This record gives sequence, structure tokens and C-alpha cells, in this order.
Amino acid sequence: MDWLQSIFNFRIVFQYWEVFAQGITNTILISAICLVLSLIFGIFIALARRSSNPLIWRPVAVYIQAIRSTPLLIQIYLIYYGLPSILPFGNFLDETQTGIIALTIHTTPYMGEIIRAGLESVDRGQIEGALSVGMSRKQTMTNVVLPQAIANVVPPLLGQTAVLIKDTSLLSIIAVFELMGAGLRMFSETVIATESYVTTAVCYLAIYAMMLVISGMVQRKLGGSAWQAN
Amino acid sequence: MEWFAHKWGIIDQLSPFMLQGLWITFKISIIAIFFGSTLGFVLGVLKTLQIYSLEKLINTYLHILRGSPYLVQLYIIYFVFPSFDIEWLNFDSFTAAVVSLSLYTSSYVTEIVASAIFAVPSGQSEAARSTGMTKAQSYRYIVLPQALKMTIPPMASVYVIVIKSTAVLSVIGIAELTRQGEVAIMRMPGDIMFIYSLIAVFYFLYCYPVLRFSKWAETRFGTLGIDLE
Repeated sequence: MDWLQSIFNFRIVFQYWEVFAQGITNTILISAICLVLSLIFGIFIALARRSSNPLIWRPVAVYIQAIRSTPLLIQIYLIYYGLPSILPFGNFLDETQTGIIALTIHTTPYMGEIIRAGLESVDRGQIEGALSVGMSRKQTMTNVVLPQAIANVVPPLLGQTAVLIKDTSLLSIIAVFELMGAGLRMFSETVIATESYVTTAVCYLAIYAMMLVISGMVQRKLGGSAWQAN
Repeated sequence: MEWFAHKWGIIDQLSPFMLQGLWITFKISIIAIFFGSTLGFVLGVLKTLQIYSLEKLINTYLHILRGSPYLVQLYIIYFVFPSFDIEWLNFDSFTAAVVSLSLYTSSYVTEIVASAIFAVPSGQSEAARSTGMTKAQSYRYIVLPQALKMTIPPMASVYVIVIKSTAVLSVIGIAELTRQGEVAIMRMPGDIMFIYSLIAVFYFLYCYPVLRFSKWAETRFGTLGIDLE
């Protein structure tokens, strides 16, 4: 086993397993919080984007385009370094909170666009049909539109969640302790790049694999319910 | 009014550095999209040949690149590769940036090219084969021309992803737009918000037209129904 030890020093990685476990936990926690927040705001964004009042949908469209056309790193810098410099009360949030805010602001438009596409994917005839058989607007929404929209929305939402998890790695640049931060800490303490960064990559790939499994399960479930509906 | 003059002074003072940063961002993104598209095109075509082991191999490659953050890939190529003791893997920061960004781009392009080829109705290649074309000829003259047209809108989105990813390169010291902004802030620490907003505006002016083009191209060439990002 010596040749293996000389290529990749597992012993040192095992010494740092607690750091990486903490990093993975933080990454998943931060992503989960951002996911929930951006889903909630995303629904509002989607509804506002569909509004016919230009005073509502124009600012929202500007927000969406602004976020999509600028790098996440700049958005993080704007919120982490920029905002405290102009606010009178300065920096009252720590790195993690700022990171969560920045990531939520970044992810919300993407979620909103996915939800909007899901709502628009339901054929108008479905709504008209439901209304014409005497369903109320609320019944149409809950019994006809939403079940179809959710089935269309969930796969891209899971894809966006995988992107969100990867995006949390950028928070390490503003010293948030998550998975990438764990790798950086190991590197700064041991100065062995291979073990630190390859372990980080493997951990991210493990999370990604988990996401693939979950998405497969969800898709089977949604497919199953759609099949039953027929 | 004084505020305005002050800010204008900053713009006036910084614009040469910003434009230089923008030039490096442009240069790296163009090189990366060129090599990434070439590699992605080859892999995408190989993926559609329906050779089982090859397909598995390419899928593994895609999963590794899509499953890990770009930042980690950059660190691995810049910090880990030199430790292999192979002379040509000892990249300087610019080469590391270009190589990592090209590989990252290729993961998107492979998927786009493969799904565009699959989107061409199978009757097209069957008809081509039945008129006596070889498989290579049917790809060259029938399938690829139709498929490549469909790749135009998603390729524009990929280019935007590449431009946005170049911001990450500032962490290994490439003097692109973001890095120039950080340097500018060291010189004038009083205007953090303004300088970062300025950089954001530069990125916006660069990316937004490409996004609009992608949107327009979708109406012109159709969508493939794959979501990027």
C-alpha cells in the first residue's frame, strides 16, 4: 500500500474528516436555506413577471436580467463589501448570513423563471375546460393547474438546486466555512494541494451523486402519479 | 454636483485599467469557448455513435465536470497538476485558467451537441444511409448541418456562462475585470460600492447583448429543451 500512500495520503485526509464533515453539513445547510428562500421569493417573482401592470413587471424584469448578466462573485462582493460601506449602520451580519443573502438574491430569478415556465406550460385549454365544467378559480388552480405545473417544474428545479450547491463554493472567497472552506483550511494547514483539493472535489461529487439519486426518485414518483391520473 | 464630479473622476481614472481587464476577460473567454467548443463538439459527436463503453466514459467525464464547482476544478488544475512532476502540466496561471475554463465549457457543449444531434429526426440519417451514403457521409452532409443550427441559441448562453465564470479567475491572480476592480479598491478604499457597481455594469454590458441574441436565436432556430446553468 506504500505506493498508494505516496500518491494520495489517506492518513492525512482521515485526520481532517471532521473538518470535511462540518464543511459538507454547512454546504448542505446553506444550500437548503437558500433553496427555501429563493423558492418562496421565486414564486412572487414569477407572479410579478406575469403581471400586466408595467410598474410591477418592468422592475422585476430588470432585476432578473441584471442578475443573469453579472457574475455571482461580483454580486457577492457587492453585498459583502459594498453594502456595509454605504449603509449607516455598517456591517451587522456575519459572513454566513451575508453569503446566504447573496446566494438567495442570485438564485431567486432563476427559480422564478423556472416557476413561470412551469405555470405557462399548462395549456390554456386545461384552465378553460376546468372553468367550463363549473370549477371555481381556486379549484382550477389546485386541482388542474398546479399538479401539472409541479410535474413540469420539479426536474429543472432540482437541476438549479445542484447549481446552487456548486455556487456555495464561491462563498469560501468571503471566508464562509463550507466544503470549499474545509479544503482551503486543510491546504493552509498541511500545504498539500492534492489531498486537500481532490478530497473537496470528491465530496462535491458525492453530494452531486446524492442529488442525482434524489432526482431519479422524484421523477419516478411524479411519473407514477401522472400515469395514475390517466 | 460635487458627488457627481467625484464619481466621474473615479471613472476617468479607472477606465484604462477596467478596459484592460475587460480585454483580458474577452481574450480568455474567446480562447476558452474556442477550445471548449472544439472538444465538446468531438465528444458530443462521439457520444451519439452509440458505442456503449465510449458513452459511459463520456458521461463520467461530464458528471465529474458538472458535479463539482468550477472553483474546485480551477484549484485542482492550478495547484494539484504541478505536483504530478510532469513538465507540461506545470501550468502558469494564464494557461491553468484557459485549460480549466475550456474543460468546463466542453462539458456544456458536449451535452448541447449530443442533444442537437438526437433532435434531428432519425428518418434523416436513415434516408441518407438508404441512398448509399456511409455513416460518416450522413453525419457530414445530413445530420450535422441540421444539428449545428440548433446549437446556436444554447451556445450563446454557454458563452455568457463562460464570461461569468472568468470572474472566478481573479482568485488565481489573473488580471481580468474583477481583479482590476479589487486592485482599484485597494487604491481607493472609500468607493467600494461604486467600483463594484461599475464592474457589474461592465459585465452587464458584455453579457446582456449575448443573452438577447440567444433569446432571438431561439425564435429563429428553435429550442432544444435543455436547461443550462
